[in-house]
Amino acid sequence: MARPKDHLSDHEYDGIREYDNPTPGWWHAIFLATVVFSVLYFIYFEFNATAPTPHTRLARMQLEENRRIFGEIGDLEPDEQTMLMLMDNDVLMSVAAGSFRSACAQCHGANGAAIGLSGANLTDNHYKNVRTMPDLYNVITNGAANGAMPSWQAAFSRNERVLLAAYSASLRGANVPGGRAPEGETIPPWPARSTPDKSP
Amino acid sequence: MHSPVAHAAAATHPTTVAASEGRMEQFVYDDAIVRKFVLATIVWGIVAMLAGVFIAVQLAWPAANLGLEWTSFGRLRPLHTNAAIFAFAGNAIFAAIYYSTQRLCKARMWSDRLSNLHFWGWQAIIVSAALTLPFGITQSKEYAELEWPIDLAIAVVWVGFFATNFFMTLKHRRERHMYVALWFYIATIVTVAILHVFNNLTLPLAVAQFVSSGTWPSGADLMKSWPVYAGVQDAFMQWWYGHNAVAFFLTTPFLGLMYYFLPKAAERPVYSYRLSIVHFWSLVFIYIWAGPHHLHYTALPQWASTLGMIFSVMLWMPSWGGGINGLLTLRGAWNKVTADPVLKFFVVGITFYMMATFEGPMLSIKSVNALSHYTDWTIAHVHSGALGWNGFMTFGMLYWLFPRLFQTEIWSRKLVSAHFWLSTVGILLYVLAIYAAGITQGLMWRAFDEFGSLKWPEFIETVTVLMPMYWIRVLGGLLYVTGIVMCGINAFMTWRNRPAKYAEVVHSAPALSAVYVDPPPPPSMLTSNTDWGKAVETKVLSGWFHRVWERKPFKFTVFTVIAVLVASLFEIVPTFLIRSNVPTIASVQPYTPLELLGRDIYIAEGCYNCHSQMIRPMWAERKRYGEYSKPGEFVYDRPFQWGSRRIGPDLAREGGRQSHDWHVRHFENPQAVIPQSIMPSYAHLLRQTIDFDAIQHRVNAMAMLGVPYGKAVREGQAVELAMQQAREINEQLESQGDYRGLHDKKIIALVAYMQRLGTDLTRPPPAPDEPAASP
Repeated sequence: MARPKDHLSDHEYDGIREYDNPTPGWWHAIFLATVVFSVLYFIYFEFNATAPTPHTRLARMQLEENRRIFGEIGDLEPDEQTMLMLMDNDVLMSVAAGSFRSACAQCHGANGAAIGLSGANLTDNHYKNVRTMPDLYNVITNGAANGAMPSWQAAFSRNERVLLAAYSASLRGANVPGGRAPEGETIPPWPARSTPDKSP
Repeated sequence: MHSPVAHAAAATHPTTVAASEGRMEQFVYDDAIVRKFVLATIVWGIVAMLAGVFIAVQLAWPAANLGLEWTSFGRLRPLHTNAAIFAFAGNAIFAAIYYSTQRLCKARMWSDRLSNLHFWGWQAIIVSAALTLPFGITQSKEYAELEWPIDLAIAVVWVGFFATNFFMTLKHRRERHMYVALWFYIATIVTVAILHVFNNLTLPLAVAQFVSSGTWPSGADLMKSWPVYAGVQDAFMQWWYGHNAVAFFLTTPFLGLMYYFLPKAAERPVYSYRLSIVHFWSLVFIYIWAGPHHLHYTALPQWASTLGMIFSVMLWMPSWGGGINGLLTLRGAWNKVTADPVLKFFVVGITFYMMATFEGPMLSIKSVNALSHYTDWTIAHVHSGALGWNGFMTFGMLYWLFPRLFQTEIWSRKLVSAHFWLSTVGILLYVLAIYAAGITQGLMWRAFDEFGSLKWPEFIETVTVLMPMYWIRVLGGLLYVTGIVMCGINAFMTWRNRPAKYAEVVHSAPALSAVYVDPPPPPSMLTSNTDWGKAVETKVLSGWFHRVWERKPFKFTVFTVIAVLVASLFEIVPTFLIRSNVPTIASVQPYTPLELLGRDIYIAEGCYNCHSQMIRPMWAERKRYGEYSKPGEFVYDRPFQWGSRRIGPDLAREGGRQSHDWHVRHFENPQAVIPQSIMPSYAHLLRQTIDFDAIQHRVNAMAMLGVPYGKAVREGQAVELAMQQAREINEQLESQGDYRGLHDKKIIALVAYMQRLGTDLTRPPPAPDEPAASP
């Protein structure tokens, strides 16, 4: 070190003096390290087409999910057969339950009974705009009752809407006590499932 | 920087510095103005913190908003932040600057009249904030909420009164060199002026309407304005401002305060002059780049966000430079710290400063920010800064000033000690609870179950869990408020014991002579080196060059402005000029006249204080809210409404997700729809009618800003279009449920806006002949 420590400079302001101490070495070292890191970081992420971005990560996640959930079954058709098949698939029904809770539960309730809420009770045998299972898909896709039930076409893919329709169908018959009073007409039961006794 | 003429003169006529001084002059410092600012600091401190506690209670217990539209969280949160920053901290730094600048310059403030205009002007601005924000008169840009007439007043008071007075005092100083505290004051004054002006460039409705029709808007609309920037650019300017308000209103002036009051109180020399130089310039230059870290993962271009991150990381050591210079100044005086409450406040204040300035760079790292952003973590961070650093430095200064300003012993030293401990415990309770809340909620938002679905898909689940933490925050806040009240009592009682007439000490010092001979650089310590190397050592490393700058306030100020502006322009210019930053989306169209009005209601109610409109490109957000937000979706958003905190869910894709009926019932009584909701009721919007006549002027003003409104403006159809859309929405609403006759109520406009949010992306683009404004 060139100068002895705590060399008092000749500065004085209103009685305040200043030491002419050097800046601490570790201060320089960390400052320099942050500068080096920053330069490298900027070059790697801003001048490098292969650097990962949030968008590439997002696209990969979407791809993985599509493969994981729909990879084996491919594109779903909104028909009775498909929905009955889906209703027996516990994994897919759990996936649909997640979507239902995030999008539908605000009006239909987490259990579908719309307790104290404005949506239809999906756990009884009464329906307003639904006669068959594909009608559930149509209501989800296009909305109903002059917008009281919004359209979910933009928010969910076709496959997701078929899943949601199947999940809504599966809620029927639970007849949750205290659920919203029946509206509309009683409709015939869903067709029998192909493998009614399937256990997980 | 070094005049060769002066150098030659020094060689031929060796004169001492003292001989070149002017004649002796006598002067008295103006302490009355400092007493005024001190009083205002305490009063506004109590008000700001009480407002904070009041809205903190509302988050834990929504009924505490009294059911009034003027006292809801969205209206009062800006009042709390503005009061804490500009009223409490603002008056504190003015007290510090007026007290220390006079002494560091050996000169009374240049103009007593300007000092008083500054004081009363600033208090009037604060009062006008309190009279506008609760009524929903707001620009909705955080910490820049005040509307344009008040902004003009701020510019006049800051530049016309404060800056003029300060720089004229510098000009007439009797101390040759400017001490480091003054450097920080200079940086504060010029940068805050620049930030304030450029973030508040707006088109007032009053101006637009008067120019186009010769009439004036009525009522609160007289103060309404929209920024000249839209969407991405508006967001960028706002956080360039917002971040540097923290830098140049809450950091640099408080560092100046520290550099004066800490060595005075400790009676120790400042640790390192050279560290002062290095950390001052690096801080000023680097800080200004860091704003975009508030916009990570948003629709801001990635390069800007990356710059914001790396400059924040590089800011760590420049910030700590001030902290270590402060703490190391106390070497050899730690025995005093245990005995002197003033030093205790300073030590804890600086410790919080160093924690916050480590945390800041850490939070600006993108992957950390992905978790922390929109959560309470940010709230905890700013409160450790504001309560710990700004608050404690202020209290330390106040307790040091009381005996000197009131010229008597402090009334109760025990009360000072009690204030210190109460506030320390208060801050710790506050920040620890809110850190926990932030991390808890952040983790819940991104948690998945074994099926790949969100583990907590209902947003409310991630709110209810925070309630115990919110109550602890209330307790911590109450302790902190109690501390300030004790400070107020102590100030009052000390003031009561003041002498009948304050003694006014007459000081004397020689005036500065016009001619000054620069002393030569110190001798080189290097024995064998090139001349170039010696020059670097003796003129640069020794700080000699800076000593020259310290004698030249004008030059010093210009250099500071250059440092700030160069850094700003590097980010601002590309943000505005590179078209690819905001790729246009053909289906994104201007808001309809009714939606535009609804948007202004959204702004007035302060919805942005709790709801973001920015879905980040992350899987958890994609699952919860839908497709991530694109830059092109915001080109008609004036001001942008991206928000900074999700007390409620994001609304960027809210349009079409609920029925009109759901929205109206939810606005009228949120708890009727979601029992655990902490949202206030907006029932007044179901009663208040839409001022349809004002709509045409609003649309015209937007068109002046370049929004392609087409026929709605040309043929003056805005009112008709708005009424038609209101009727349509009302018809749908009536067919969906039990509401009747709301077609001319504000709620319809707000619902129109809500139903539009985020829907343009999936809408087919309009036919080329039909540009806009049809619902």
